[in-house]
Amino acid sequence: MASSSSRGLTFKLHPLVIVNISDHYTRVKSQLNLPPSLTSTSSAATSNNNNNNSNGGENNQQKPPRVYGCVIGVQRGRTVEIFNSFELIYDPSTRSLDRSFLEKKQELYKKVFPHFYVLGWYSTGSDAQESDMHFHKALMDINESPLYVLLNPAINPAQKDLPVTIYESELHVIDGVPQLIFVRSSYTIETVEAERISVDHVAHLKPSGGSAATQLAAQLTGIHSAIKMLNSRIRVVHQYLVGMQKGDIPCESSLLRQVSSLLRRLPAIESEKFQDDLLMEYNDTLLITYLAMFTNCSSTMNELVDKFNTAYDRHSRRGGRTAFI
Amino acid sequence: MNSMEGLVTQIQGLSSTASDVLMLQNLLKQANDSLHAESTRLLPFLDQLDPSKHSLGYLYFLEACTAGPITKEQASSYVLIIARFLSSCVSEQIRLASHKFISVCKRFKDQLVLLGEPLRGFALMLTAIRKFQSSTEHLTALHPEFLLLCLLAKSYKTGHSVLEEDIFEVDQPKDLFLYCYYGGMICIGQKHFQKALELLHNVVTAPMFAVNAIAVEAYKKYILVSLILHGQFSTSLPKYSSSAAQRNLRSLCQLYFDMENSYSNGKIGDLETYVQSNKERFEHDNNLGLVKQVVSSLYKQNIQRLTQTYLTLSLQDIANTVQLSSVREAEMHVLQMIQDVEIYATINQKDGMVRFLEDPEQYKTIEMIERIDSSIQRLMILSKKITLTDELMSCDPSYLSKGCRERQKFDFDDYDSVPQRFNV
Repeated sequence: MASSSSRGLTFKLHPLVIVNISDHYTRVKSQLNLPPSLTSTSSAATSNNNNNNSNGGENNQQKPPRVYGCVIGVQRGRTVEIFNSFELIYDPSTRSLDRSFLEKKQELYKKVFPHFYVLGWYSTGSDAQESDMHFHKALMDINESPLYVLLNPAINPAQKDLPVTIYESELHVIDGVPQLIFVRSSYTIETVEAERISVDHVAHLKPSGGSAATQLAAQLTGIHSAIKMLNSRIRVVHQYLVGMQKGDIPCESSLLRQVSSLLRRLPAIESEKFQDDLLMEYNDTLLITYLAMFTNCSSTMNELVDKFNTAYDRHSRRGGRTAFI
Repeated sequence: MNSMEGLVTQIQGLSSTASDVLMLQNLLKQANDSLHAESTRLLPFLDQLDPSKHSLGYLYFLEACTAGPITKEQASSYVLIIARFLSSCVSEQIRLASHKFISVCKRFKDQLVLLGEPLRGFALMLTAIRKFQSSTEHLTALHPEFLLLCLLAKSYKTGHSVLEEDIFEVDQPKDLFLYCYYGGMICIGQKHFQKALELLHNVVTAPMFAVNAIAVEAYKKYILVSLILHGQFSTSLPKYSSSAAQRNLRSLCQLYFDMENSYSNGKIGDLETYVQSNKERFEHDNNLGLVKQVVSSLYKQNIQRLTQTYLTLSLQDIANTVQLSSVREAEMHVLQMIQDVEIYATINQKDGMVRFLEDPEQYKTIEMIERIDSSIQRLMILSKKITLTDELMSCDPSYLSKGCRERQKFDFDDYDSVPQRFNV
């Protein structure tokens, strides 16, 4: 039922959505699992299991609950960017969607994020199912072609990719009957600075034996290598020009033209206000770096002094130092 | 004399390669006593040796020569010989006999002081230091000698250039005391009071079993300099100073403590009467010049206090509050302070009003970028050094024996995997 999409839309997913969905799922799962263990004894639970009782609680012990919600974001041209999500109450057996709640939530989000609108919906599970199509069609009156974001909550340590898939709906003719089916689409993860730090934080709550470098450090390393490469390339061009000036290398006017056009592109803005603002921000960043260095240095110094005191302070924590050893 | 001649030929023969030099060193060590016995007759032998090639041998001979008491006439000739040696010796060879080198240089300094010509010596002393140091962060016993010569010659700039370097290794504690004390005096001479304060602070808070004279003198100057610079002085020493210092320094410098009391009242008259009454004692400590600077700095402190209360003030009021004799003097003082960037103000000469301004620094300039950048670089270097010392300390056996006893069982569940700090 799921095949690759040929629509040409590019999807960008923010990690906030993934964290939200997973949080929703975990919360519901942990909340629903509690009552059965409290109300029944262990033997009763096992006997209930054997009787295959279709108790609501039992169901949840055997089958993980599905959660539903809406995803919101922006669509600019061919790019769809999914920023945020919120939860919905939906009962798949009765197929009733709480419309009033959805509308209220939409209004609230519109106030805070006026540019965002409902792009689609999300759910948890291992694969898209037929019953999901009903929800999908229900959302079609808000957005004529909604997205379906599916998160697979089963933890598979061997899996390297994210267990998130985005489906679109396409009208295909199957057995002579036009039907809506889900087609899988590719997406990229897009992060903002704040999200990067919070994902970092969340990731570190569970040490999974990953690399020691934090995400922030990895990103800074990336920028650093990019700048280094830029620097080396500029140096190459510079050397080339110097060689041409000295006469070691024959003059090539086409290359010279290219270099001069490159140089004329910068500086992009040349005004006093820009200089002022640039220098002020530059100074601020430098001051923050300085402060960070200071803190780093003081913490090292503190550890050193502690070690020194434990090693050489014969009179344990009395004021003053003993002599040079 | 035969043994001397034999020694000379051996020196000439064995001074080429490093292994030969080591062999030579052993020979010289054994011959040391005989050298000292013949000290008066060694002078002609020195001409046979070339200081640039046979530095080690030359050094031994020279040290034996100068060991005995020296008269004034001999001193000038010796000074020439040692000067020639210092300018042409080879650093690897002299480092092998560091004690001898240090004692030769000390005698050099003594002779110069005896002759009353410190000017001749300090440049040579600087070359000697450069050859002797293993790195610029190494404090040798020669540093205090050099600084003393600079002080006597009143050439503070050369002394200051040596003080600019940070010190990370020290041979002997006494060197550090003397170095910081003399360094403080040189900075006072150049009116770099901030640096002087730091150096004197080092002397006062350095670890010591018992109070030594250097620390007492340094403490007196420290009080005076901190009064000049900050207008106040904290009467208690910081916690990390030695217990000996904390207990005893106060009683030994009571005179200066009382001065601080009269200073903080802010009244020029009181301070001046105090200084007059104790003039001889200040002179005895050679601090009278510094004390006079303290008195003149009281005006500055008072004017600075005015900036915190008033936005504009007339020159007449300034003169009255600060107890200056005339408006003219008040204007001179304020002008001087504006030039020295101690206060920010504008003087309106038409109506004699002074308006006090805020610090106009906007942190928008390229110079500020460069300043912060250089500070960050310095801090990075310092941080690397501290990390290195920290690692060395972790491997130190006394720390390991004591530190590991104190630590509790490591609970791996509580182990925080978030990195504690970013390693530069």
